[in-house]
Amino acid sequence: MENEKKSFTSNLSANLWLILIILFFYLPIIYVVIFSFNSTKSLTVFSGFSTQWYQKMFSDRTMLEPIYYTILVAVIATIVSTVIGTITSIGLSKQKKLVRELVLQVNNLPVMNPDIVTAIGLMLFFLSVNIETSFWTLLLSHITFCIPYVVLAIMPKLRTLDDNVAEAALDLGATPFQALTKVIIPQIMPAIMSGALMAFSMSFDDFVISFFTTGTGVSNISIYVYSMSKRINPSINALSSIIVAVITTVLVLVNVIPLIKSKKPVEKDINKKKGSFIPAVVATLAVIIVLVSLGFKSTGDFDPIAEFGSDTLNVFNSGEYIGEDVISNFEKKYNVRVNYDTFTTQEEMYTKLMGGSSYDIIVPSDYMIERLLKSDMLQKIDKSIVQSLDTLNPGLIEYMSFDPNMDYSVPYFWGSLGIVYDCTQVEQQEVEKYGWELFRQEKYSGNAFMYDSEREAFCIAFKSLGYSMNTSDDKEISEAYDWLVDMDKKLNPSYVTDEVIDDMCNGAKAFALVFSGDAAYILSENENMRYYEPQQGTNIWIDAMCIPSNAKNTKLANVFIEYILSYDVSYANSEYVGYTSPNLEVAEVLSGEEGEYFENSAYTPRTGYSLDETFVDNESQRKKISELWVKVKLN
Amino acid sequence: MNSFKRMTYPYIIWLLVFVVAPMIMIVLYAVTVSGNDTIVFKFTLENFARFFKDADFLRVLFNSLRIAFITTVICILIGYPTAYLIAQQNENKQAFFVLLLTLPMWINMLVRTYAWKGILMRFDLSSEFKVFVGMVYNFLPYMILQIYTSLSKLDKNLLNAAYDLGANKVQTFLKVTLPLSVPGIVSGITLVFLPAVSSFCIPKLLGGGEYVLIGNLIETYFVTTGDWNFGSAISLIMAIIIIISMFFTKKIDKNQQED
Repeated sequence: MENEKKSFTSNLSANLWLILIILFFYLPIIYVVIFSFNSTKSLTVFSGFSTQWYQKMFSDRTMLEPIYYTILVAVIATIVSTVIGTITSIGLSKQKKLVRELVLQVNNLPVMNPDIVTAIGLMLFFLSVNIETSFWTLLLSHITFCIPYVVLAIMPKLRTLDDNVAEAALDLGATPFQALTKVIIPQIMPAIMSGALMAFSMSFDDFVISFFTTGTGVSNISIYVYSMSKRINPSINALSSIIVAVITTVLVLVNVIPLIKSKKPVEKDINKKKGSFIPAVVATLAVIIVLVSLGFKSTGDFDPIAEFGSDTLNVFNSGEYIGEDVISNFEKKYNVRVNYDTFTTQEEMYTKLMGGSSYDIIVPSDYMIERLLKSDMLQKIDKSIVQSLDTLNPGLIEYMSFDPNMDYSVPYFWGSLGIVYDCTQVEQQEVEKYGWELFRQEKYSGNAFMYDSEREAFCIAFKSLGYSMNTSDDKEISEAYDWLVDMDKKLNPSYVTDEVIDDMCNGAKAFALVFSGDAAYILSENENMRYYEPQQGTNIWIDAMCIPSNAKNTKLANVFIEYILSYDVSYANSEYVGYTSPNLEVAEVLSGEEGEYFENSAYTPRTGYSLDETFVDNESQRKKISELWVKVKLN
Repeated sequence: MNSFKRMTYPYIIWLLVFVVAPMIMIVLYAVTVSGNDTIVFKFTLENFARFFKDADFLRVLFNSLRIAFITTVICILIGYPTAYLIAQQNENKQAFFVLLLTLPMWINMLVRTYAWKGILMRFDLSSEFKVFVGMVYNFLPYMILQIYTSLSKLDKNLLNAAYDLGANKVQTFLKVTLPLSVPGIVSGITLVFLPAVSSFCIPKLLGGGEYVLIGNLIETYFVTTGDWNFGSAISLIMAIIIIISMFFTKKIDKNQQED
């Protein structure tokens, strides 16, 4: 009796522990599901119930495609790597020790290396053997980093196997193949399954390696989410919730129902595990493929090939940097297909282009355009097609020293860098008095956001010290470094990138360093927020559409540029994104009394102020400040 | 048994092409100086010297190792009892728990980390604690699965033999179960410690940007600065340190088994 009691309490605490662990694992999942029904874009403040993100997800082809590719790559990579990994592991266990250890060491390399190293290594490799990145290079890369996990999962189990069993099978007349499939593999099945799961989750979550090894028009969910971080929106939560719902349903059907139906223990445990995982994958895959095929709709009788010589256009732009229907309307209008890929930083885009990726339209910033021009990576705009350049703001074109005649680049958005502050916490006079020096006021310690980018951080330091932000002078750079170290000590800011948008909308801190376009969005969401461009001068930047020299669909690219310049498209684009349109009329209407950005100071950055500058391409400065910026944050 | 050996060859070729060849390119970059787009082979050890001469870089390295180490220890402390308890269940329940643990992996890691950010921001916690929550959450399933795999194949007769010979529960666990599950712990460590050292999304998202770990450093030099030579050198230094630490982990594993 006593024993039973004891085992009951120990059972209870055991179950309690497992329940707590499961809760820990599902807490964020519950959170994701809740926020998929949020009525606003915020991922941190729940403001009401809505199903809009589900609708948005199903109507957005650019969102369905990454889902399709993610699942496709993950499933194929898992199957291939599990097969190769299993075969290899068994072979290795019979190999000479030296060979085994050597192979295992090399096998560990992709696991040990930071993803970025594996990614760059593979990219360099594909480049050097002249293979253009595509779906296949993505798949090969995934298989390459998945196999090691399978081997790692299986080897420990193989080491504990009794060799004699397989020997006995062979002695009893089994062929090696039979010994393998009837004796060895069944014994290591749980390890194979856990290796397969590991491979699947690695492939499913991978961002960096995928980003550098995929071809144009092929993105996975991670690439999509990462580049969406500009203004992440809950449709990704909607997607995650659907995945959870589908898998849970399948798992419940496969596991729990037979459990309830018959209480008799199932002896084929191994087959059962395999049996419940595969239908889950297959069902999910099926659902996804149906969803994606719903998203593909081709209509129209216009023949783009006769007109433009091609029916696809590859666009490479920053994440969340385009109006909702701009791409789909273009596709409908010209009966073409647009592969729309996104990047998070200029440098990432540059690396990708260096890796041989071919795009028809890219949208780099001013200094990057200069750098691309220096490396001869852009081609001329065809001005017989792009005819609407006269709609552009002349005040803005003065800042285009990198390409004054717009021969290679056509402005897409522009803006400034400034301070967004909460007027209930910081007085206007104070902001105007201090300007950038606000970032060195001790009384705001811990109550501010600093943009985590060396370029912007050094820009405000240079400006505050009265220097040009394009200086190469070592003394000035080191003074700016000291300024930033002092800033870090006195202000103790949170270093953020695009999450600052959501945080400032919720008034998380007193002030932040923000780009004007993001500021315009923050101001429209939170009425206490103000935008200020300090008198010490700031950065005026321009993002422009360019056609890379290796573009394949040049004519269509020019048509696309002209399409973006048109009044309606410019309007839709700028209204949705919040960045300032280079189209003068559009900007005036949007900031006018009837416009979306009426009395929103961030929507109309100042022009013509003598201390404002654009960045120029300056390689030696770039290297120095990015190293120094790491050190500022380490202090 | 010789025919089994041949099963290794396809993967050896695969490794040579897709792992060794790319690594050779990285090594080449690490021991050369930048020749501005055209590859000029000028061998140097300057990139390595630059790293070791700089106290800030060394601190980043130390901090990355420390965080990965603590994450691994926490994962073992939580993961072992969990795996042990799962392995105690009947076979149906075991399969069910394993699936329950792997289900969250279907949600993109970034989406999960964003969710943690939203949850943790409601509490006044240090950013280091938040980083640990995110790290443990992300890596714990691998530890549990590895330990569970080695526990699930444990021969029950060994335990019964121990009991028959008069060992109590604690003794049986310490003398039989634990030593036999060491291979699982070791491969768990490999799957937690290695990616934890170089992870950069989690510290970046949950640590509020102040957290610069070696992964962030390497990323900076590869992507932002475009200094692939120095970036490659840092990666190599890290790889070597990791190989050394894995060597010692394996040693422990072997000593255990010889006991």
